[in-house]
Parts: sequence; C-alpha cells; structure tokens
Amino acid sequence: MKKSYPYLTLLALVVFNFLNANAQISKAEIRATGLTCSMCSNAINKQLKALPEVANITTDLNTNTFTVTLNENTSITPKTFKQSVEKAGFFIGSLLLTSKTSSIKNEKYIVVDAKTMDSEEVTYQVLDKGYVTDKEYKKLSKSLKKMGTYLANNEDDFHIKILN
Amino acid sequence: MRKILLMLILLVFQKNISQELFTVTDPASNVPGNSLAINTMQLLFKEKLEPGYNYHIMPEVTYGLNKNLMFRATAFVSNRNTSLVTEGGSFFAKYRFFSSDDLNSHFRLAAFGRYSFNNSDIHQDQIEIMGHNSGFETGIVATKLIKKVAISSSVSFEKAFDNTSKNPFPNTYGDHATNYTLSFGKLMYPKKYTSYKQTNINVMVEFVGQTINENGKSYLDVVPAIQFIINSQARIDLAYKQELVSSMLRTAPNGVYFNLYYTFFNLTK
Repeated sequence: MKKSYPYLTLLALVVFNFLNANAQISKAEIRATGLTCSMCSNAINKQLKALPEVANITTDLNTNTFTVTLNENTSITPKTFKQSVEKAGFFIGSLLLTSKTSSIKNEKYIVVDAKTMDSEEVTYQVLDKGYVTDKEYKKLSKSLKKMGTYLANNEDDFHIKILN
Repeated sequence: MRKILLMLILLVFQKNISQELFTVTDPASNVPGNSLAINTMQLLFKEKLEPGYNYHIMPEVTYGLNKNLMFRATAFVSNRNTSLVTEGGSFFAKYRFFSSDDLNSHFRLAAFGRYSFNNSDIHQDQIEIMGHNSGFETGIVATKLIKKVAISSSVSFEKAFDNTSKNPFPNTYGDHATNYTLSFGKLMYPKKYTSYKQTNINVMVEFVGQTINENGKSYLDVVPAIQFIINSQARIDLAYKQELVSSMLRTAPNGVYFNLYYTFFNLTK
C-alpha cells in the first residue's frame, strides 16, 4: 500500500531549507487573559484548532492555558497565535515557545538576556507588546529601554527570553 | 420576592468565577470574530389591564465580523393581537472600542446601535424597540470583571417612530427616553473546571430602567436569571422580570424569559 513520492520528498527538502529562516516552533504554551468562562475559552480553542499547523491542543480551563503541539517544520510565527487569540475576543498574557535552537538564530529573533543556547532545543518567552500583559509590557519597556528594536514595536521581529 | 432577590445579590457578590453572557442586556464583549450564533428568545408576560398573557418569540442571528465588531438581526413574532404574527424586525451592531485585559480580569467599553421596525399598535408609555415600537437606540456599555465577578452597565438613548402610518406614535406619549442597565453575573458550577463538556451554571441579576425624557415618567425592573452552558457551545437562559417601581403606563411588565442559544465557531477558515 505504501507509495513513495521522490519528487515530493525533494520538494519538501527544498521548502524546509527555505523555511529555515523561521523558528520551527514545535510547542506553544499560550496563557490567555480577560476570560474566566468555558465558552470564551472554547472560542480560543476553536480558533487555534482551525490552524493547519496545529497537531493537538490541551487546555487548562482553570488558568486558560493552551498547550499547542505543532506539526513538524511549519513556518508558523508567534504572530499567528496572537491573531487567533485576539480574533476570539481576548489577549495573550504569556507565550512560551519551544523551537530547535539553530532555527531561532536569525535576525527575526532577538535574545534579550544574552544566555548561551547549547542544547538542541530551546524554550523561550516572547516579550513584545501583545504577547505579555499590559502591566508586564510597561515594566519591560522600562527595563529594555536601551533596546531600540524593542520600543520600535515592529510586528515582525520578536524579543525573546531564554527559559532553559 | 425580596428575600430571593437579596439572596441572589449576595450570591453574586461572593468570590468566584463569573459570567457576563447576560439574558436581557449585552456586555461590552462581543461574540468571537468569524463566529455565528443563533438563538430564540421566548417571552411570556402577564397582561395587567386584561386577563391573559402575551407571548413573544424572537429568533436572532448574531455574527462576529472581527474581534471588535458584531452584528445581529432579530425578528419579532407575538400573539399580542389574537393570533401569532410577525410584527417587525431589528438590526443591531456593537463595536468594542476599548479593552484592558489582565489575567482573569478585564475592563471593556463598547458602543452600540439598534434600529427596529414594528407594525403593531402602540399601547403604552414605555418605549421598547425590542418587539413593541419602531425606532432606534444608541448607547455605550462598560463591563468589568474584577476578581472573577462581572459587572456591566449601560446608558442609551431610545427614540420611537410611528409603527407604520396605520399605528402612528400618540402625541400624548413622550417619544424619546433614556435607558440604563446594571447587571451582575456569577458562575455557580463547576467550582473547578475539568473539561469543555462540563455544564456551567450561572446566576445573574439585572436591573433595567427607563425615563421618558419629556415627562420624567420612569420604571425600574429587576431580572434574576439562571443560565446553563452546555458543551461550552450552547446556552439555556431562564429569567423572570419583575417591576420594582413605575410611574408610567405599561400593559404587561412582569413575565418570564426563556432563551436557547447556540454558537457556530469558525465559519470560514
């Protein structure tokens, strides 16, 4: 029954190389703010489920934390998670991502705490506006005020704190 | 009645998780973007001046265009004049223009507008464009979720027109009014969530008032409600409306509400 698709494999390899500029996120832990009801939470759940990159979601309804497992080698960026949560009518309170270390070594991802990343996989928090609570953003704007790129609020670069 | 009311208010003010999906008012939050909700609200109100009850059924469709803007269309069917007939309809839009959210809390503001048409006879001082008068209403609503208790309040301006040329608005009544609402909501069950399949039970108390601007005639009603949320997707509301004070002519102020509501998430990908 199993068929082989040599051209597809080749195409896939080419595409993956092209996509290497992306962080190849394998897991996302999203904590949403501004809700306490399960119907509200379900709105976010359904938005996330509709993303083609998403393989599986588990939800802690008591903390409104969504643990999202992603398919391999997708080009998803943090922005997609933000748009999904906001479309449901809510906001991101914290976003923790897991990626291959090599894949976040590009100009889109700016590490704010200059930690060395020696393991193969890295877990990090996105610190930009819209990815943390308003209160945290105010604090971060003060502590990172020397970082021009942080205050510029460019939607396509992400300031990250390494957690592992 | 007063004792039940007091108990409901006390329940609402206890600490716990709350709800803002109120039965007779709308919160500042909208339905999710790209979602469609359908519901049928049924009302059974006791006639004050004559024997019997009048029954209204209002099918509604609500659409979330994006995170900030939603639309709703309503049809008004009632048996107030002998048999069950469609008397009119309504369009509603709400725009959320401010949100300040934190973990398990938020403060939100929204502006709304409603336009309704109705061909039934005009029979009372009260202006009610949900099923009685042709006219429009516009206002703002603020909703706060503090320590898991939801409180919502709105102020609006409502203006009545002729109910078609057959039923002109009487000159003896004031044709515009100020409306005000104050609502409280609380989730009673579950105490701790385990899944989306759990049925949630909410208790709400809403206060709804109106003053006719020209002559100062007013009323204030209280609406206690119980709500069941099933499978995190469907809603059943059961509410009772009781007039607390009134200085205006109202033909059927007291009665029950029964609302069935279902959400379709992600209409298109």
